[in-house]
Amino acid sequence: MSNLHAPRNLFRALAFLACGAALVGCGQSDAARFRLNMDGRDPTFASYEVQADEAKTSEESKQFREDRKVAIANEKVRQQLVVDLLTAGFGTPDEPFAPSDLGLDIARLRRAAGPVASYQSGQQHGLYRKHCAHCHGISGDGAGPTALFLNPYPRDYRPGVFKFTSTGPGMKPTRADLERTIREGLAGTAMPSFATLPQFEVDALIEYVIYLSIRGETETLLNAAFEGEELEPIDLKADAAKQQEQATALAERLKSEAADRASLWTAAVDTIVVPNQEAIPPFLPAEGTAEWQASVERGRVLFRDSKTANCIKCHGLTALGDGGGEELFDDWNKAKPANTKPEIALWELPKQELRPRNLRLGIYRGGRRPADLYRRIHVGIKGTPMPAAGNVLTQPGQIWDIVNYVLSLPYEASGEAKPTQPSVAQAP
Amino acid sequence: MTPASLDNAVASRWPHRLALATACATFPLVWVGGLVTTQDAGMAVPDWPNTYGYNLFLYPWQTWFYGPFDVFIEHGHRLLGAAVGILTIAMAVGLWRGDRRQSVRWLGWVALAAVIVQGSLGGARVLLNERTLAMIHGSFGPAFFCLIAGLVIVTAPRWQSSEPATTSAATGRVQRLAVLTSLLAYAQLFVGANLRHLSLSAAPSAGRALAWFHIGLAAVLVWHAVLLVVAVGKAGVPGLVRRPAWLLMVLLAVQPVLGVMTWVFNYGWPIWTERFGWSAAHTIHAQGLYESFVITAHQATGSLIVATALVVSLRAWRWLAPVTRSSGAVHHGALRGAKAAERDARELLVAVTWPLAASSAMEVAR
Repeated sequence: MSNLHAPRNLFRALAFLACGAALVGCGQSDAARFRLNMDGRDPTFASYEVQADEAKTSEESKQFREDRKVAIANEKVRQQLVVDLLTAGFGTPDEPFAPSDLGLDIARLRRAAGPVASYQSGQQHGLYRKHCAHCHGISGDGAGPTALFLNPYPRDYRPGVFKFTSTGPGMKPTRADLERTIREGLAGTAMPSFATLPQFEVDALIEYVIYLSIRGETETLLNAAFEGEELEPIDLKADAAKQQEQATALAERLKSEAADRASLWTAAVDTIVVPNQEAIPPFLPAEGTAEWQASVERGRVLFRDSKTANCIKCHGLTALGDGGGEELFDDWNKAKPANTKPEIALWELPKQELRPRNLRLGIYRGGRRPADLYRRIHVGIKGTPMPAAGNVLTQPGQIWDIVNYVLSLPYEASGEAKPTQPSVAQAP
Repeated sequence: MTPASLDNAVASRWPHRLALATACATFPLVWVGGLVTTQDAGMAVPDWPNTYGYNLFLYPWQTWFYGPFDVFIEHGHRLLGAAVGILTIAMAVGLWRGDRRQSVRWLGWVALAAVIVQGSLGGARVLLNERTLAMIHGSFGPAFFCLIAGLVIVTAPRWQSSEPATTSAATGRVQRLAVLTSLLAYAQLFVGANLRHLSLSAAPSAGRALAWFHIGLAAVLVWHAVLLVVAVGKAGVPGLVRRPAWLLMVLLAVQPVLGVMTWVFNYGWPIWTERFGWSAAHTIHAQGLYESFVITAHQATGSLIVATALVVSLRAWRWLAPVTRSSGAVHHGALRGAKAAERDARELLVAVTWPLAASSAMEVAR
């Protein structure tokens, strides 16, 4: 009869398995809270524990453990203060808020924020959680539940740096830059194209991304100020008037930092790089003409010139992205240690290497129009080792020539990586 | 087996016909429900059971048909759900009046209770705007579909005939593997539902753990299906068991492909394929038609896999009889089939639903 009992045991074993799966998935409901920026921070001060273990005397060890308790208590106070200040200044993921001097449209923010819901047919709210939060996270920290699988990681908005812009070096993107990325997506990455979204929904998403970015930058600045002891937490032992005074000062500081960040977004429009209108060479449709050929050859020289563009440093002589040399990292990964100790996990996402683009594929994430490539070369890709070459390629037409060469690469077999021709190299 | 002897064994063919009709309506409902999740259209209509203030059946069809796509599929899901509810009522009444077996008659009412619970879960998901409830709703729907598929099998005239079961040394293994595969398939579906409704606040490490669990369980499930068809081949079982077992194998061969495509349409190709132009040029189209179809097909095929595995299990317990260890004698197939299969159907139902109830209770307690 044991043979007949076996299936019953299987029933039970599998039911437990299913329940285990339920526990994994149901562990967290949607708590709409912004996550604190803890990148590079260890709230448990595990290093103190390590030092205590390695201490030579028991007194030293005891001291390290005492210090750890104090440090953890102070950290908790700091964290709570940052949460309170940011909530007062920016609201919550369900009810975002921004002072009027930040220039953000509250109606758009409210459409993008909160849980996904419709109160009127065709008028959806919670757009950010519907379309973006899975990867970019509720806080815009680029650490949504899917982030670990993605390469490159989803953009962390908090440093306020966006890769593909039309604006000058170090400047914020324009709304049009963000719209281009949202509408067209980024080929070869997990960033989809939202081409079918109505304009008012795209506008709401752009507004919310800017909001998260300003909020994130302000948080980082606050953290740095507390870290450098430029700011002090409210002294809870002081009298009420003193505490109130300290709280007001901190709130004012937050407001001014946020306003400073917001002004950079407003100023970005004035720094749009307008491609040089002089000496525009013929592009691919004119392939085969002498003028086009000359432009491509000039571009090839500049591409390889280590004193100016020096593109080969990363993209390689063949432009296959095989420049070799050291490993490359973007700004979001640069600060991370190569091997994070598992007991001191200071970063949500481990270090991720960057690969230079294989230009022979003809895929350009920042846009494929000649004007897009011109800007890519002129202002670089922000937050990455791709530099802004606008200040070294100052001769009229130089950038256009590189654009022409880059556009010609997909049509040239990699084995045809031609040597630089001296006559062309001497050409103006 | 002649038609006359089948008629003698079955009081009425109507319960079977109604169960079949309910199953045929439920599978599209599972599809549309999946599409609602794919398009994140669950909250396209803010009220329930009404639609924008209208009675469900009186919502103007022009507004529905020509309106926003998310309202179209959410309201369509509700209408189809209502149709399944009505069919389930008819089936329950049909079973009560037309089937002689007490347990099967009661299973009809269980199905009705289940469809009411499922509808209420859908309503609560809307009224509370709670993603966890959406996950439970999305997991309970396939369980209901399986229950109806099971009723289709047990109300079939041939099931109730006195036709004896086949026996051989390997039949016990086929039975065990079939049940195990059914439960693994449902566990896998449940993990998939969790992945689809993962909390947006979940840590990246949690998302990765769940995704790996889903992939690992898929491998285990496919392996069990292979073992099952091998055992079916060795046991020389009748076509009634063999055919759905092979169908299960085919579905489980297609499903990983759909799974990979679901991943690609959501998150792109893996980075190591970047050297190829097709990978580097691939742009994901958010909620695109083709993408939505494939992603939803992955989910709907999951339901079909569980239902097919259940069909194999039920038929294996009805049409196969293992050799007993004590005497080497065989069970009398028809006797074992009629009683044991009913008991197993009940156990299967309990095994499938209680993890859901437990997880729901935990959420409520939280």
